[in-house]
Amino acid sequence: MTLIHVPRPPKNAYDPDRPVTSLLNSQVAHLRKAESELPLRYRSEIYIHAIKTEGEAARYIHEVTEAIHAAHEDAARARRAPKRRRSLEIAAAADERAERQRTRKASQRSTAKKAKSGPGRQNKS
Amino acid sequence: MPPGLDNLKHIVVLMMENRSFDHMLGSLKAVDSRIDGIDVQNPFQNPDTNSNGVTAQALAEFQAQLQPDPDHHFPAVDLQIFGGDTSATRQPNMQGFVRSYFHQQGDVGHSQKIMYYFKQSDLPVLTTLALQFAVFNRWFASIPGPTICNRAFAHYGTSFGKVDLNPIYLNEPFKSIYTRLIAATPKHTAKVYYYDTTSSTMEVANLLQNQPELFGTYSQFLDDCKKGDLPDYSFIEPNYSDHETDSGEEVANDQHPDHNVQAGELFIATVYQAIKDNPDLWESTALLITYDEHGGIFDHVPPPACTPDQFTADGNATGTGVPFKFDRLGVRVPSVLVSPWIPPNTVVDRVFDHASIPATITKFFLGDYSPRSPRETSADVFIEPKGGAVDPQRNLLSLDTMRNDCPNFDA
Repeated sequence: MTLIHVPRPPKNAYDPDRPVTSLLNSQVAHLRKAESELPLRYRSEIYIHAIKTEGEAARYIHEVTEAIHAAHEDAARARRAPKRRRSLEIAAAADERAERQRTRKASQRSTAKKAKSGPGRQNKS
Repeated sequence: MPPGLDNLKHIVVLMMENRSFDHMLGSLKAVDSRIDGIDVQNPFQNPDTNSNGVTAQALAEFQAQLQPDPDHHFPAVDLQIFGGDTSATRQPNMQGFVRSYFHQQGDVGHSQKIMYYFKQSDLPVLTTLALQFAVFNRWFASIPGPTICNRAFAHYGTSFGKVDLNPIYLNEPFKSIYTRLIAATPKHTAKVYYYDTTSSTMEVANLLQNQPELFGTYSQFLDDCKKGDLPDYSFIEPNYSDHETDSGEEVANDQHPDHNVQAGELFIATVYQAIKDNPDLWESTALLITYDEHGGIFDHVPPPACTPDQFTADGNATGTGVPFKFDRLGVRVPSVLVSPWIPPNTVVDRVFDHASIPATITKFFLGDYSPRSPRETSADVFIEPKGGAVDPQRNLLSLDTMRNDCPNFDA
């Protein structure tokens, strides 16, 4: 099998200060639109109209991409969490219902006792 | 069933940026006359603004030559393809590249650089893969326009009527190829691997916003290759920007002018080598390397007419004053299909465009599927579907035994 040498780019190939291209500008615009639909706490503080270089565009793209992932992960966690809360609520509601039933039964017993003795007393009085 | 197709479990697509066929692979005609590149005996010419013929020359440089970025928005590409003819009966003649580039700087000498192409030795990775596997003579961009709308064809089989870089709004019922696969029964797997979160994706308005779980990074791709965990379908995006990360400086490797072309060569080699270094994966994977569009750089093959899409871009959207019915392909781009089941020196003359990507993936993994856009439905497939009779004339993974002579790169 032939091994083919792949030349590496020279060090000066790297230039984050290169003026931003229309493609990166459009990527920024797409991400700005996606960002605008995120809750406020996930939004970047970078003013996109001040982006002039590739490095600046990259920083914004990074922040928003991370924020989109974070927002979705948090939302997924939140979707899972209410289930647990709901089961607690159900358990709590069950406890409340049991408590209410106990109170009602106690109240019914007390009413029954009163009903047994009360009218007599009333009659007596 | 031919063993190459029988073994095929993974399809990987790597889409680079903004280089034409002749610019990258035109030199290969001198090596193999079946490859429709530059005829050095009778080289392709374009007139400059002084009406002098400018000949295609092997003088392309890796960087700092195509500044400013050659215009490749719809009106500019219209000029490049039709040479400025706006009549109703016009035919594509590929005579407007130099004039189009002249408009950006008003410098006749500089405008001639749009006709430069790379020598074979400049691009050891792409040219080796083109000669060692299957090279497509007629793979065109989907639209005579810029990146985002062309990439949309690779994901959705349509750009939903867009010919520009503005955000694309999905228009039901056409679902992305990823959504189709993961929603199928039995379920398939699919992933878009962008380079890193700082480069991110060019498919931002829709997929990343709504289905971020479909995305991974390039380092995850490398891990998935090592572990043999590659999804059924993977789409790889290169690094679109020079940027810093915790591990140091990352040089853009998308080959978009004025990014360094050698960095892209290295990237293509790492993708190829990641698959090849896992023997199980190598045996069961096909890798398509293609470019989203030509980036305003010359090519000599007129793009053909095609089945219109169901959308129309109006005259304001096209910027030419004339509506576009998506009934003509964009300029030709380099495309190479890699698999150890493909005979060396395979040259494919059938017509493809990026709608062929979802068309192929859908037919291969899902079979019949609808709805799909008119453009995707009419697009040819580059891998024959499993099941049923396979036409040996169309099957590119045609070898009875797997090759063991495929090249390695020191990537």
